[in-house]
Amino acid sequence: MLHIYCPYCEEMREEEEFSYSGEAHIVRPKDPKSLTDDEWGDYLFFRTNPRGLHHEMWHHSAGCRRYFNVTRDTSTYRIYETYKIGEKPIVTGEKS
Amino acid sequence: MTNMYTPLHHITLPDTVADAGIVMREDKLRGHLNLRGNPEDQAFTETVAKVLGVALPLQPNSSAEIGSTCIYWLAPNEWLLLVAAGTQDQVEADLRSALMGQHFAITDISSGQTLVNLAGAKLDELMMKSTVYDCHSSHFPVGKVVQTTFAKTGATIYKCTDGSFDLVIRRSFADYFFLWLKDASEDYGLAVI
Amino acid sequence: MTNRLDQCNRMAEGGRIDRSQPLTFTWNGKDYQGYQGDTLASAMLANGIKVVGRSFKYARPRGILGHGAEEANALMQLGEGKETIPNPRATQIELFAGLTAKATNGWPSVDFDLMHWLGKLGGKMMPVGFYYKTFMWPEKMWMTYEKFIRKAAGFGHASAHPDPDIYDKLNQHCDVMVVGAGPAGLAAALEAGRSGKRVIIADEQNEFGGSLLATKESINGQSAITWVEQVTAELAAMDNVQCLSRTCVFGYFDHNFLAALERRTDHQGMTATSGSRQRIHRIRAHKVVLATGAIERPLVFANNDLPGVMLSSSVATYINRYGVVPGNRCVVMTTNDSGYQTALDINGAGRTVVAIVDTRQQPSGRLFEAAQAAGITIKTGHAVIEARGSNQVSNALIAPIDASGENVTGETVTVSCDLIAVAGGWSPVVHLTCHTGSRPKWDETIAGFVPGDSDQDQYLAGAITGEYTTLGALQAGAKMGALVTASETSTSYACEDESVCPPQALYLVPHTKSVSRAPKQFVDFQNDVTAAGIALANREGFESIEHVKRYTALGFGTDQGKTGNINGMAITAKNLGKTIAETGTTIFRPAYTPVTFGALGGRDIGELLDPARHTAMHVWHQQHGAEFENVGQWKRPWYYPKGNETMQEAVNRECLAVRNSVGMLDASTLGKIDIQGPDAREFLNRVYTNAWSKLAPGKCRYGLMLKEDGMVFDDGVTACIDDNHFLMTTTSGGAAGVLSWLELWLQTEWPELEVYLTSVTDHWATCSFSGPNARNLLAKLCDDIDLSAEAFKFMDWRNATVAGVKARIFRISFTGELAFEVNVPANKGLYMWQQIMAAGEEFGITPYGTESMHVLRAEKGYIIVGQDTDGSLTPQDCGMDWIVAKNKDFSFLGQRSFSRPDTSREDRKHLVGLKPKDPTVVIPEGAQIVPHAEVTIPMPMLGHVTSSYWSACLGHGIALGTVKSGNHRMGETVYCPLADGRVLAAEICSPVFYDPQGERHHD
Repeated sequence: MLHIYCPYCEEMREEEEFSYSGEAHIVRPKDPKSLTDDEWGDYLFFRTNPRGLHHEMWHHSAGCRRYFNVTRDTSTYRIYETYKIGEKPIVTGEKS
Repeated sequence: MTNMYTPLHHITLPDTVADAGIVMREDKLRGHLNLRGNPEDQAFTETVAKVLGVALPLQPNSSAEIGSTCIYWLAPNEWLLLVAAGTQDQVEADLRSALMGQHFAITDISSGQTLVNLAGAKLDELMMKSTVYDCHSSHFPVGKVVQTTFAKTGATIYKCTDGSFDLVIRRSFADYFFLWLKDASEDYGLAVI
Repeated sequence: MTNRLDQCNRMAEGGRIDRSQPLTFTWNGKDYQGYQGDTLASAMLANGIKVVGRSFKYARPRGILGHGAEEANALMQLGEGKETIPNPRATQIELFAGLTAKATNGWPSVDFDLMHWLGKLGGKMMPVGFYYKTFMWPEKMWMTYEKFIRKAAGFGHASAHPDPDIYDKLNQHCDVMVVGAGPAGLAAALEAGRSGKRVIIADEQNEFGGSLLATKESINGQSAITWVEQVTAELAAMDNVQCLSRTCVFGYFDHNFLAALERRTDHQGMTATSGSRQRIHRIRAHKVVLATGAIERPLVFANNDLPGVMLSSSVATYINRYGVVPGNRCVVMTTNDSGYQTALDINGAGRTVVAIVDTRQQPSGRLFEAAQAAGITIKTGHAVIEARGSNQVSNALIAPIDASGENVTGETVTVSCDLIAVAGGWSPVVHLTCHTGSRPKWDETIAGFVPGDSDQDQYLAGAITGEYTTLGALQAGAKMGALVTASETSTSYACEDESVCPPQALYLVPHTKSVSRAPKQFVDFQNDVTAAGIALANREGFESIEHVKRYTALGFGTDQGKTGNINGMAITAKNLGKTIAETGTTIFRPAYTPVTFGALGGRDIGELLDPARHTAMHVWHQQHGAEFENVGQWKRPWYYPKGNETMQEAVNRECLAVRNSVGMLDASTLGKIDIQGPDAREFLNRVYTNAWSKLAPGKCRYGLMLKEDGMVFDDGVTACIDDNHFLMTTTSGGAAGVLSWLELWLQTEWPELEVYLTSVTDHWATCSFSGPNARNLLAKLCDDIDLSAEAFKFMDWRNATVAGVKARIFRISFTGELAFEVNVPANKGLYMWQQIMAAGEEFGITPYGTESMHVLRAEKGYIIVGQDTDGSLTPQDCGMDWIVAKNKDFSFLGQRSFSRPDTSREDRKHLVGLKPKDPTVVIPEGAQIVPHAEVTIPMPMLGHVTSSYWSACLGHGIALGTVKSGNHRMGETVYCPLADGRVLAAEICSPVFYDPQGERHHD
């Protein structure tokens, strides 16, 4: 059972209040019509699904109903940070 | 008004429990208005404050109160206005005309939900049975408002000055809510006033 | 019946039992007596009961091995009838008056078991992997074998009756969660409690104290028990501390979430007289202190499973805590100092210690000297290599062994005894740490696995770290208690000398014969895994400890190998020529001890299993005899049977009423989303397939919503309230999902759009009435607007007063008839419904349910998203190309996917009408559609029937279904082969069966 900090409610909340909403930072192409089928297929179906650090979206569905982002390790379930939509993650796994 | 039926109008208890551990009271027909707007837009916040006579609570999980009006923070750009029964049309009209030309939304949801007050000696344990949120007094001070789960439905929970909780529950879940409440109070007795 | 053995093993005094409160219990049909404070196990041992069950595979007699959660043998069938509980351990059952228990197996009885003889004969015939090897071939016979095996083997049986008890759950939150209330746990809780933090301390035992309940040691100069009582009282008096006894923390999950089972009334009787029998505590803790202690290991020697072979610490516990000495002539075999204390305790209880058999060559120190001083025979460098006896221990074979512990080096002597207490070293209870994914690591100095690195905010204290002295545990507990409360100092403690002589790491005791030829040397008692079985598995190539576990069933029992695992791993390591650290360990999963399904279910059963959502008119529907259908969580009227009507008769009547006069449906469950803001139109343009730029206030439009893959996701009518304000309706089941989906786009991709969404599903109640008399009916209740067809057109909406109530009236239709939907705030929904019903009486207004709604809409070929579509149909597949805008500026959600090769195929499945060739037939929904009447397998599958009904107004069956290239096959005949052998023929046709020109609803 995860314990998740909602960046909008500014509190730790129980996992029951949230729903998972897939990989974060997947941007809808500005002009879908100009994309090849492969490019559109990548946007539609392909996800990184890493073992380890993952940026993902969660929805505070039983709370403030805002979407936000979580940086989570998919193997340990450790949550490194949560951040609002439009913000950039601090923890990226890349060496600074 | 004979043509109005609140979500819990039909509930009955087999016996009145004298020393009930939980006491429930439906605050019938309160006006419920959902207000949306940008908290960083001063024109918006100031206009609303002027109409309501109190500033919108901007801190997460906080509330504001003036007279019979109570304002719950629901999200950074969303509030619930609880106003006296029957005044919701007027408050909505006042806000609409004052906010004319701005980007906002105000929606009457008075019939879509109801306000229920829960009190009693066994309130703490009842809340522990019912919600995953920590309702302990050290974590849930008076005036705090939280949207969370309640059994298998949701509720907006507000801590009143007398230590009791006001819960906003959705109309369609009211029967389930009461069924749960009755069951969870089985050990202590439930009184409905 | 009389007390057969009259507590022959009960000491005259001592222990934490109350001799003034005798309790009668029944074991295998005979009455016995124990005392308040006993466990069933201690009471059985007090009465000299040796054989408590039969083993799983070989049906060998088994006795009580331990005294707690580690017990592998003493599984009980507790109680009878509907109250019966299968497989609790006798060591964890608190005795109560009238308790009834039976062995879980053994036929005809545990004392004489026929299977045992099969086991004896078949020892060589039932090797490890026996079931895999024997019963898997021929494959089809497995079902036959399985029935026989299940009957012969296995343990207790569950009641087939409903559980008479209730169970509940509490959501707990604390700063510090202390698991285990032995010396370390109590010291930690005391420290944390005194700091004022919110603390929960839980222990599975009936009282706090852990190992201190069975020790003669002292703490701070007073008896350990006195210290326990003082600390327990202090904790209980603190408002900020919750003390949970009889509460087993059985699971430890991510982010310091723990699950604990509290046995609230199990110690009082089979069922609770009031309240819940058991309660699950769901605990979220900021910090967790694990003080779970350690479990003693048995040693693996020949016939070590005979009743009378027990863990040394358990023997000491029975003596000191329960006042029971489970034998008269005892041999203690030990690899470390623990056995000495047991020997001293036995001696002190006035029973004979035949010998302490110490596998170490040169033990020394405090306890060694104490045993010598007590005159106890000590045989160093020796081991019990075999136990003998028919149904219980009668002799021990003792032989000298070398320092490596691998060889017998001299003559074997046989001594007479009835109890062999075995001290094989300690295994820290690392189970909970494993639950969160942490892998235990081998600690050579304590010869045991200790918790590995963890991602949790967890702290360890006491024996779980291999710290086995009382003083060490107290100090570690105090230190951790201080650490989790950020306190600089911690309480200090003093105990008497607890110095120990180093233990020997010994697991498999050598025999004069080889492992394969010696009598069985058991590793896992519950699953009958032997040292020879593990050796065979290793020889057959199973080297990974995870494979060995699965092949041999090592640790697969309900005890999860608490006593056997380490020995099994050590034996595997030795067989493979590796170290234990290299071989590694399997990891434990929740639950630490078995949890009843009742407790896991809690109160979420029956009517509380899933919330039932009701509309404002629900009471009316109930009063008028409606049968209800589940639509999502909603209870919607399905049909309203009159008198003895069948469902079909009621539906026929309801449908005809709508077609011929007027009927009314409660449509309140449709999802409703209020959309406000200057960009509302643009938003609708983006999420719907059609165009919204020109929809005028007062008008409605039907919309189809797609996911980005181009597949139909939801549909509904949206009304323009004013330029910046729209009201969207969604499907009943899809409402929440649609709102989340729309919010997702607004919040993440299009934050620049000035639009706010608010759910108003519950705010509005909707009375939808349809039929040729709909306008006449409305006219009776509403006179402030022009209701004429010219003024109030199809797909218009109006603000109006209906029956004196301000309402929104939508002229939309899902039946194909002239129809109005009157929307009022739900507080007035019931009133409005009643007013319309009353006004409609002269037209014979008929309430109709979802079934009739389905028939009426199917007659018109209107789809139901989620019934006729399944996430794999595009608008084009549904024959709804007409609603897809071609030239919107914004590439609406899903549009790009239309040109994907797979989406643009011509031979996709299309939604079409199906008219049965036999007009009296209704094809079952879900029926497969194939091209030929002659069924040969395999054959091409064309699709399936999605909706199918009897149409009362058309007088024949109608259906909708998906068919490959269906749009190009109009007029062709397809077939539906059914499970009952019938093959129904149907003609592919337009899905619009009724009023194809739409004249009626435009009226």
